[in-house]
Amino acid sequence: MTVLDDVRRGMIPAHIYNDEDIFRLERDRVFGRSWQFVAHESEIPSPGDYVVRRVLDDSFIVVRDEQGDVRVLFNMCLHRGMQVCRAEIGNASHFRCPYHGWSYRNDGRLVGLPFYRDAYGGESGFRRAGQTLLPAPSLDIYNGLIFVSLDADAPPLRDYLGDFAFYLDYYTRQSDAGIELRGPQRWRIKANWKIGAENFAGDMYHTPHTHTSVVEIGLFREPKAEKRKDGSTYWAGNGGGTTYKLPPGTFDERLRYVGYPDEMIARMKETWSAAQQKVIGENGFMISAASLFPNLSFVHNWPKVADSDDVLPFMSLRLWQPVSADETEVLSWFAVDKQAPEQFKLLSYKAYLMCFGSSGMFEQDDVENWVSMTSTAAGQMARRLRLNSRMGLLADDTTVTEALGSDEFAGPGTAYVGYAEHNQRALLHRWADYLEQPIAAADPVDIGARP
Amino acid sequence: MTARSGASLPFDDQRHLLAHRWLVDETYLLDAQNYAAWLELLAEDVRYLMPVRATTALGAGFDTAPGMAHFDEDKYSLSRRVARFATEHAWTEDPPSRLRHHLSNVRTFATDRADELLVDSAVLLFRSRGDVREPALVSYGRQDLLRSTSDGWLLALRSITVDESVLRIQNLAVFL
Ligand code: FES
Ligand SMILES: [Fe+2]
Repeated sequence: MTVLDDVRRGMIPAHIYNDEDIFRLERDRVFGRSWQFVAHESEIPSPGDYVVRRVLDDSFIVVRDEQGDVRVLFNMCLHRGMQVCRAEIGNASHFRCPYHGWSYRNDGRLVGLPFYRDAYGGESGFRRAGQTLLPAPSLDIYNGLIFVSLDADAPPLRDYLGDFAFYLDYYTRQSDAGIELRGPQRWRIKANWKIGAENFAGDMYHTPHTHTSVVEIGLFREPKAEKRKDGSTYWAGNGGGTTYKLPPGTFDERLRYVGYPDEMIARMKETWSAAQQKVIGENGFMISAASLFPNLSFVHNWPKVADSDDVLPFMSLRLWQPVSADETEVLSWFAVDKQAPEQFKLLSYKAYLMCFGSSGMFEQDDVENWVSMTSTAAGQMARRLRLNSRMGLLADDTTVTEALGSDEFAGPGTAYVGYAEHNQRALLHRWADYLEQPIAAADPVDIGARP
Repeated sequence: MTARSGASLPFDDQRHLLAHRWLVDETYLLDAQNYAAWLELLAEDVRYLMPVRATTALGAGFDTAPGMAHFDEDKYSLSRRVARFATEHAWTEDPPSRLRHHLSNVRTFATDRADELLVDSAVLLFRSRGDVREPALVSYGRQDLLRSTSDGWLLALRSITVDESVLRIQNLAVFL
């Protein structure tokens, strides 16, 4: 497909951001195969706790069963296909289908069929034993992050993450206890899902312009948004992100600089590897936004939350859940270390609300751009335009600046200082690789039939 | 927190007339995005809260996402939001949205304090941007606490109950 070749050259056919045919392919080949984040274990701490989440059009119940195991069950009754759970959060020992009353234990097992003997003739007519709501074809967990894949042969999640796991720990494992995730705020934007994922993966270039207003009102200690060009971007495994360069100092001093209290810094030291500490302590880079292919993003920033010079860090996870070629549901969570002091949690939550999420001041300007890009990408003229996404590359494909050496950046993957679109290209490269490969039809399951 | 005492005030009660007028006047400020004037109507200890609504089973005992809100603001954070709109670089509102806050169902309750009134209202916000985009609607209820001060009646608490779990609006670069 020539579109994919263009994408690989860093010349992006503008219509890929609003194209029904491309979206159909993405639905099957990207979302039918990649690992998809559905929830964090902290959202369902006790037996029976559940949340209902989608992978595109497919609704899943993410539930902790009575044994304490996490199950992800396709939310479709085995009888006629009614949704067995229509709430989005709650606690239940059983799910009873509202249509004819079949009931399922919270591990998915079918336990009740009204008039089983009279209507079905019992086991000899309908094999009830061993029937369960369809489990997600693949399920895996990393740092409490629950992922599913619609591909039964998906590689283990850890392999899929690859070296991105190194960076994922900064967001989701600041102590042994891990994070608690709150939310999500959910809202729909008329923007293509890829735009947000690309932006969070590597777009440091937009910060000084798009977010001028947030700097002007004094929300940040850094007086100038141009500071961003001193930061680095990295791509590792199946994801990549951006960092800020911090003023000179030790590991402790730099974490204090972004507002972490000493007790949290002490736990980070116990939890993070030497290399993970070195990126901050010696190389001076602090993680900021990031994306894991295809549509999960992260953010870490440190605004002022009161009229003083003190800043306070917050973290957010967000999913760019596609609705259609030109619409995305954003699910945005607030994340904080479970062991953080209560006062820190409170202020970090405030910092999050001011900056990101449905009302966040950064998010407001981001989304305005993305909505506008998406609607403009729908027409015929967009089909004649290949956007230049080659920032950081010379005509002969060598890079404008050299990749950082291991003495300058201790993390895995490839990192560069300054503005470039290496990560956006890396993300779309993956996308092209997925779009190129057809998926095999999965084997259907007969419910209750005799073998 | 201040509690309502008794049934809603009669519609010809001076206190209801005062509260209703306050809300209507505020609506015009919000439609015009005259946020500097709006900020003056907020008490120093104002709390501006909009929980995230979630779909839960009947009898679950809760219908919001635990520990999460769309807005959970104090005067400082509201003042930063307002200050941002006053810069020349708040792109999401340049060009500005066309806004109309349709206010209805206003009822007022006395409290055990003479200087505080509790006011319920319903609002349908219409927001239009540009020429090709679909307009956005947000339907919500409010519970407001109005307090009489030497600067007049000020908003001390606004609790917003939005009627959707998934907002159909690109952002909340508006006040509700
Ligand atoms: S569809 Fe669920 S019981 Fe019939
Ligand atoms: Fe941004």
